[in-house]
Amino acid sequence: MNRYDFILISVILFVCLLFLGITYINGEKDANVAYVYYDNKLVKTIDLRIDETKEYIVKGYNGDVVIETKKNQIRVKEEKSPLNLCSKQGFISSSLETIVCLPNKVVIKIESSNDELDAVVR
Amino acid sequence: MELRKLTHLSMLLATSVVLNIIESVIPVLGNIIPGAKLGLANIVILFIIYIYGFKDAIFVSIMRVLLVGILRTGLFNITFFFSLGGAIFSVIIMAITHRFTKLSVVGVSIIGAISHSIGQIIVAISFLNAPNLIYYLPYLLILSIPTGIITGMISNKVIEYYKKISN
Amino acid sequence: MKKLILLIMCIFLLSGCNNQVYTKNLFYMDTFINVKIYSSDKKKALDALSYIDQMYNDYDMLADRYKSHDGVINIKYINEMDINQEIKIDNRLYEMIEYSKSFHAKTNGLFNIALGNVIDVWSEYRNGNKTGVPTTEELLKSGSTSIDDLSLLGNDTIMKKGDISLDLGAIAKGYVTELAGEYLEGIGLNKYLITAGTSSVKVGEHYRNDKYKIGLTDPLDTSNLYKTVKGNNISVTTSGSYDRYYEYDGVKYHHIINPNTFFPSNNSLAVTVITDDAALGEVLSTTLFLMSVDEGKKYISDMEGVEAIWYEMDGGITLTDGMSNYE
Repeated sequence: MNRYDFILISVILFVCLLFLGITYINGEKDANVAYVYYDNKLVKTIDLRIDETKEYIVKGYNGDVVIETKKNQIRVKEEKSPLNLCSKQGFISSSLETIVCLPNKVVIKIESSNDELDAVVR
Repeated sequence: MELRKLTHLSMLLATSVVLNIIESVIPVLGNIIPGAKLGLANIVILFIIYIYGFKDAIFVSIMRVLLVGILRTGLFNITFFFSLGGAIFSVIIMAITHRFTKLSVVGVSIIGAISHSIGQIIVAISFLNAPNLIYYLPYLLILSIPTGIITGMISNKVIEYYKKISN
Repeated sequence: MKKLILLIMCIFLLSGCNNQVYTKNLFYMDTFINVKIYSSDKKKALDALSYIDQMYNDYDMLADRYKSHDGVINIKYINEMDINQEIKIDNRLYEMIEYSKSFHAKTNGLFNIALGNVIDVWSEYRNGNKTGVPTTEELLKSGSTSIDDLSLLGNDTIMKKGDISLDLGAIAKGYVTELAGEYLEGIGLNKYLITAGTSSVKVGEHYRNDKYKIGLTDPLDTSNLYKTVKGNNISVTTSGSYDRYYEYDGVKYHHIINPNTFFPSNNSLAVTVITDDAALGEVLSTTLFLMSVDEGKKYISDMEGVEAIWYEMDGGITLTDGMSNYE
């Protein structure tokens, strides 16, 4: 390793930490709505404001995907895939996080109420 | 293509496929951040860039993705394009870095790991229509540093050794 | 009484702070009105909701031009009474008429609450009682449309000098909404949102240090929103030609009548006005709707705190420069 390598490492670390810092500051929003997509189509919208643990089942490419929600949190509880990456990911609670189950073609996005409209005028 | 080189590249291709499979059976890093990998196959690709050059490296890289697809994950599904995007992008960037910068093998390896993550994220965002995935990039990139160093050091040893024995 | 009210809705916990939302749905002035108050003081918020309910109820009766209400001298009463006869009316109605009338001169006659006679003719056609389109002659002979035929004599006393018919439809809703907002601010309930029908919204402070987001419906595709306005302490009012209209011979005739031509105006598909005063917003959105985009831009250019969005006939969108504050 030479000194250029160290410069490279420092630059990467700096940029990443800066980015993480910014997203941390912007990311503290309550997750209020979850959108579940299968094969790029919205299949379920879940209200995350309810203060109880609930389970939902959606269709995945390899079989049923079990989704569990708590207040302002959502996770994939069970799914069939080689590595089970998305059930290992655990609960997400920020609108900046997304759960992706590649083998099952399931994507879960969440939104805070800040993104919702308060009223519509026509 | 000269027979010796063809044989050699075939063996390297086989090695990269095996490394890829070994790695996917023991997903140590995947438990920390979904999708993260050590990138052992990158050792082979780096070696080819340094010994044979860019064209052979990208050829082996694409063949590797195809073979792993056939053997394990399936062809032309999302996972396949995921890997393909990461593989092609990282080979191009590594070759450019090797040619035009003063970075050592370890530096080029880190660049390779980073561009692999970026390539995958780009494919994932466009395929899954999930721009939020960009927020995983910093974690993947930070993780690229240790994995890049490890694979880079191994590559370095292999390249040095190869140069010694082939002289 | 055409009161058709639903109850106070339940209470949502919003974010970590103690503010809860208290809301009430009302039906007055032929439209739904939703009032939301964000407060930690339950009793105060509920009392305020009842007060506002009463407020809309009272003004609805006063501004009513189709129904009589026992013991209430309202617009219907005024429209039907003899000319040259002085009458003392409710102070609230007097002030609303005075406020509305004052805009006649300020808008070069475009905002006119004395168009009732012409509006009635158009209603006949829109309702299908008559078919086709009224002739100019029919509109002209329907009666006086001169606001000067209404004298405000002071001390809540008015007198008609001609057979005019008042119609407060273009202002009553916004006027009361403004009063409701001012009432809430006056008693310290600064965090509120009042949706008055489909075309008008008034908001106070945001309930969690953010900005209210108000979507604007695309006139050409009403399932779609073409813009979002963000802000606090503002009212957003739209005048559009695409909600209330009838079609004859391939031409759409909507409900906003130009007092100079007596025909619906076709300058824009919709005009949205953003200002801190819901009554003013109602007046200006109607007025701008009756002007061309260029005239309208010029007209409000020297007004402080008034911004507008024109959705033009061809789908083009024009904004005033200050709209960037609400993006």
